Amino acid sequence: MPTPPILEVNQLTKSFAGVRALVDAKLVVEAGKVHVVMGENGAGKSTLMKVLAGLHTPDSGQILVQGEPLHLRNPHDALRRGIAMIHQELMPFLDLSVAENIGIGREPCRWFPGWIDRAAMHREAETLLARLGVPIDPARRMGDLSVAEMQTVEIVKALGHKASVIIMDEPTTALSAREVTALFQVIEDLKKAGVAIIYISHKMAEIFRVADTITVMRDGRHITTRPAWLLDESELIRLMVGRDPVERAIKKPTPGETALEVRDLESSGKFHNISFTLKRGEILGIAGLMGAGRTELAHAIYGLEPADSGEIRIHGKPTHIPTPAVALAAGIALVGEDRKRHGFVPKMSVRENLTLSSMKRGWIHQRAERALADEQIRAFDIKVSSHDQPVEKLSGGNQQKVVIAKAVLTNPDILILDEPTRGIDIGAKGEIHALITRLARSGMAVLLISSELPELLALSDRLLVMREGELTAELDPLHTTEEEILRHAMPV
Amino acid sequence: MKNLTLKCLIGVLAITLLGGCHRDDLGTDGKKKIVIGVSLLNLSSEFIVMLDESMQAKAKELGVRLIVNDAQRSADRQIQQVEGFIAQGVDAIILNPCEVDASSPAVDKALAAGIPIINVNSETQSKPTAFVGSHDEESARIAMEHIATLLKGQGNVVMMQGFMGQAAQLKRDQGAREILAKNPGLKLIANQTAEWDRAKAMSLMENWIQSQGSQISAVFAQNDEMGMGAMLALERAKLKDKVIVVSIDAIADALQAVKEKRLDATVFQDARGQGATAVEIAVKIARKEPYEKETFIPFKLVTPETAAAQ
Amino acid sequence: MTTNQAQPRFSSILQTWGLPIALLLIGAAMSFAHPAFLTTTNLINVARQVSINGILAVGVTLVLLTGGVDLSLGSVVALAGVVAASLAQAGAYPVFIVVAAGVAAGACCGAINGVVVTRGRVPSFIATLGMMTAARGLALVVSNGRPVSNLSPDFTRLGGDLGRLPIPVIVFAVVALLAWVVLKHFRLGRHIHAVGGNPEAARAAGIRVGAIGMIVYTACGALAGVAGLVLAARTTTGQPNAGVGYELDAIAAVVIGGTSLSGGVGRISGTILGVLLIGVINNGLDLLAVSSYYQAIVKGVIIIGAVWLDRNRQHS
Repeated sequence: MPTPPILEVNQLTKSFAGVRALVDAKLVVEAGKVHVVMGENGAGKSTLMKVLAGLHTPDSGQILVQGEPLHLRNPHDALRRGIAMIHQELMPFLDLSVAENIGIGREPCRWFPGWIDRAAMHREAETLLARLGVPIDPARRMGDLSVAEMQTVEIVKALGHKASVIIMDEPTTALSAREVTALFQVIEDLKKAGVAIIYISHKMAEIFRVADTITVMRDGRHITTRPAWLLDESELIRLMVGRDPVERAIKKPTPGETALEVRDLESSGKFHNISFTLKRGEILGIAGLMGAGRTELAHAIYGLEPADSGEIRIHGKPTHIPTPAVALAAGIALVGEDRKRHGFVPKMSVRENLTLSSMKRGWIHQRAERALADEQIRAFDIKVSSHDQPVEKLSGGNQQKVVIAKAVLTNPDILILDEPTRGIDIGAKGEIHALITRLARSGMAVLLISSELPELLALSDRLLVMREGELTAELDPLHTTEEEILRHAMPV
Repeated sequence: MKNLTLKCLIGVLAITLLGGCHRDDLGTDGKKKIVIGVSLLNLSSEFIVMLDESMQAKAKELGVRLIVNDAQRSADRQIQQVEGFIAQGVDAIILNPCEVDASSPAVDKALAAGIPIINVNSETQSKPTAFVGSHDEESARIAMEHIATLLKGQGNVVMMQGFMGQAAQLKRDQGAREILAKNPGLKLIANQTAEWDRAKAMSLMENWIQSQGSQISAVFAQNDEMGMGAMLALERAKLKDKVIVVSIDAIADALQAVKEKRLDATVFQDARGQGATAVEIAVKIARKEPYEKETFIPFKLVTPETAAAQ
Repeated sequence: MTTNQAQPRFSSILQTWGLPIALLLIGAAMSFAHPAFLTTTNLINVARQVSINGILAVGVTLVLLTGGVDLSLGSVVALAGVVAASLAQAGAYPVFIVVAAGVAAGACCGAINGVVVTRGRVPSFIATLGMMTAARGLALVVSNGRPVSNLSPDFTRLGGDLGRLPIPVIVFAVVALLAWVVLKHFRLGRHIHAVGGNPEAARAAGIRVGAIGMIVYTACGALAGVAGLVLAARTTTGQPNAGVGYELDAIAAVVIGGTSLSGGVGRISGTILGVLLIGVINNGLDLLAVSSYYQAIVKGVIIIGAVWLDRNRQHS
């Protein structure tokens, strides 16, 4: 008799507010293997994982753990049955020690109930960390750890729960190359210990490094499951998108007069000595590593955190921009890097979010607003059940489209886009790229900040590079390479 | 800007605090002035304000110094205030207790420190050096007896209670029920709290007019605020001439209403008499003169006939 | 694993229509329990009795929507009441000046709350707690600690009726209608929701978050002033110790009405239903002569139950 797979999902269905997120989803996971689940944003991966982690209750379908049906009512149930999830956004207790974080929820007690046996907790953490060969002191405060270390601690915590299935949702987003290698080593060790890993990522290179099996999902359905060695990158993209990816835009426009001029802009501790010009119809890319001061520069121009000194000229006129309200009045719009924080009001409807920045009059014309919202939903191809759906219920890609549409509705002369395609699937990325090009060609001046070099190279007319708060180079995207950009971006 | 605001605030505070410190501890004859600490139930109640004023007037007349603290209805704060008086070494303490039991430690502490303490207006469980006040039950008895007289012993009565569980509510309830028991012809058909509050009493009366209709022949409200509320509600429903309203305390509003024959009667508790007597007795004790251990200031019924004399 | 389809549908009906249904059920039960309940006079009574709490609750709704809270209302009611009463002595000032002064007193307190919260970045709970104490003190100072009576009939008429309709009810209706229009049809209303839902995103969207806070706290204070005027006119006196605990009654009504304490979610219609629910229960329990002790228990249970329902709605 063959042993049943460690985890099996059959005909799982789940809807949110009338939008079907999962349709007959299926998944078979084996012990000691890395199973990569791929798909565009909104394909249903996240929903499926949240069901497995006990965060959502499915409408119908079956989950089997080692052949036994499972009824998950909450994350605690899932943990007890050996399913642990490492979330994309970590939720550590920053003021507790590493050992306390690892032991949380199942603290060893002695003497009398509720009295925590700190020594035992410390020993356990040490043992678990050593098992993965991680050199982290269990006594350290969680808040003092790097993101990569925190993530490792989360994985160790899952091991502490004796997890047989660990779900990793985009675990490498915040990691450096060296840290990624270390993570993969940890994954190897987990495989040897017989742990099954469900791995979610958009990054092709790392998928082929780590995957044993790949499942592709699209529109909430299971498309295919194949061994990783049977697939290559282009085949995978074709399966995910269900069509060929959007072609790279053709250049090259003739920029108009100067829309934005920045002179000697400085914000202490963030960036200094920044000068550049941006013309109408032009896309100016800014490359740089995380922490190079690009986001802070965008915030300064938009008035979120005004600069300490220097000058901003709009259409040649020196302009003081102390708040976003002034920036918008001056024709500047921003699509921020942190969309949950700056992008939208989660409980408000798609319609209300769309028009939030662009309402000119005190009285709201309800019928006109509804029509406008529907028009934008169509124009940006935002997937919603209706314009009254709260934005918090949308997938990341659709939320981002709402944020961009909101900025575009203010009819800006200058549009600042900060990481506009972060965490967005390939299909939607292509649409957003096409949109950015279209906006620029219509005469808008676009400042594009991105960490994805192919994106910058494909879209920008000119390219600036920032390093540690300073501009280090201006490059022509047609005559440069990713290597050259990195050379200017890396700290010396 | 922020700094400036802060400095101004501190300045104002300092002036207020300094201004509060009197430097007149020496009497005109060069001897040390008698100092009396006073802890009052609550200075936002009109009755207590009158008590305070009469004490201040008496103290000025006798040339003694009063330190008046407001316990704001908190027995705990009251005990702390008495502890403060003990620490300051006052010659006597006048206590206007917040609660029967909870304010008792204040009395015990003063006696243990050898400082005479006089309770004014209401009692505590612990026995003080002297007591000046009235029996709260008595006021309700007077009010209810007046209702019995007006109704000739026959009719339906409703009662508005004070804040449930407070000493005044319990005693006035007790006094009223004693008279009801003696008059089998008087029936208590409804009985509810309006928490001493005029607006709440208006609402309650409106609801009673709905539920009891024309059966009500008299309203007894445990204080004048509620009595005024009941009266206003009845006037608005054009029922006032059919229903008798009697309440207790004789606050200015109620006296005015009695004079205008809108309110049928109120019971006068002599705040001024209580305050002045309490200070007199405190001074006697401090000067080691003989004094009365218990002084009862009688209640007076105020009707339209007697109101003119007030 | 299969789940029942009917259950979520039923609960979603309950969530949307729960409050009106509860109000109707309680109303129906009261009508059967006491013949006097379902009479025009009694229903007008209910409306009159809820109007002060209703006016306050409308103000509280605005503040809660922005994610703040206002605990100073009861004291501001007292302050506005004694200010108005002091000016409304027979023959002293015309009524419109009295009214303006009362509303202005409330609005000033509200504006101070607004400055402290938006400029000083003091949590609204603390700022308005301070105002609660300060306004009470000011009310005692203005009135020398005594009720201010002998008000001119021109003023006390504001607590009376216009035809069969009580003026306090008319005031409440106008205030509620205004707030509804502003929240639903004006950009200001949208901005109030946005500030409560995500203040940082609101700022990034070009909304002047501080200005919205100022407007909301000032409006809430002004409404407390209106409530103070109505109370003084109705009881024919301005009392420095009036209105104790009114803020909590108002907050309870607003929360029963489905407004979230964490901001961004809520409707005036819900607030009106919450106010009516509390009013009907008070009135009904009085009619049925339920003991004061049990009345308190019933009200407490209803407040907790309503919020319980609300939390489950947000988590599903």
